Amino acid sequence: MKRSRILAPVAIVWFLLTLAAIAYATRLGLIVAPTEATMGNVQRIFYYHVPTSMLSLLFPYINFVASLCYLYWRRRDPLKALTADAVAISSAEVTVVYSSLSLLTGMLWGRAAWGIWWTWDARLTSMLLLWLLYVSYLMLRKLSSTGQSHTLAAVLSVFAAIDVPIVFMSIRWWRTQHPAPVFGGGADSGIDPSMKPAFGWNVLAWAMWGIFLLAMRYALERRRQASEQDAALKAIEASLEIAR
Amino acid sequence: MKFTWLFGSSMEAHHLLWTYLAVWLIQGGYLAWIVWQWMHTDAPADALDSETSEEF
Repeated sequence: MKRSRILAPVAIVWFLLTLAAIAYATRLGLIVAPTEATMGNVQRIFYYHVPTSMLSLLFPYINFVASLCYLYWRRRDPLKALTADAVAISSAEVTVVYSSLSLLTGMLWGRAAWGIWWTWDARLTSMLLLWLLYVSYLMLRKLSSTGQSHTLAAVLSVFAAIDVPIVFMSIRWWRTQHPAPVFGGGADSGIDPSMKPAFGWNVLAWAMWGIFLLAMRYALERRRQASEQDAALKAIEASLEIAR
Repeated sequence: MKFTWLFGSSMEAHHLLWTYLAVWLIQGGYLAWIVWQWMHTDAPADALDSETSEEF
């Protein structure tokens, strides 16, 4: 039995569970969680902004590992390299989606809370750099005509991954406009226990959604690769027919 | 309704509403793009299924 026929029902069940989790998490964030004393209701942006920001720092590592695997396998085992390449481009796109949302939701929150859309703060700037690096990765793959675009993109991905710990540590190393870490930031950090279910459910729901997007994008890339292989084989067969 | 404040006229209400809508629109839009691309990508031929494309 083909693997796709087994995976299709799993994907549908996962998708439905994810939608239910997002609906529940959104309800917790918008209605159930208490209103924050200082900022008021606009603080509820936190339940979408922080999970998307956290996940935008996790997907680059999938891209990093897949790119390393691609570089290792590209001459030793081209079929495995194609698999790694499909994982790499899928995770890069999901990284761009999540980091775009992190920047966008952060700007909407910043305008309401600080009165400004943007500032060249250490966290914001390093996050913008991360977004630019992965957009560059995707543009390199899309626009390069050298025939080496996958290899060049994999090398770029290895360098781009260096920015991830810088983004993570930026609010610990430099105290600028962005608030100090909410979690793991010392004795004064953390959120009220009544806010934790809304936050935890949103992290879970958006992680499930991210995994679903990654799987769907991976399946699309594998389909494209197979279609390209098919076209290449047909071209070779046609040229052999002409030679006869 | 308990969350009518979400549709208020203040900047805070607008930004909160736009944040949630933007996340749904961008995430949903990306999934829609994947589905659209899937439907416009030729399925691998049966001849290849047994070897290179078994897991597609």
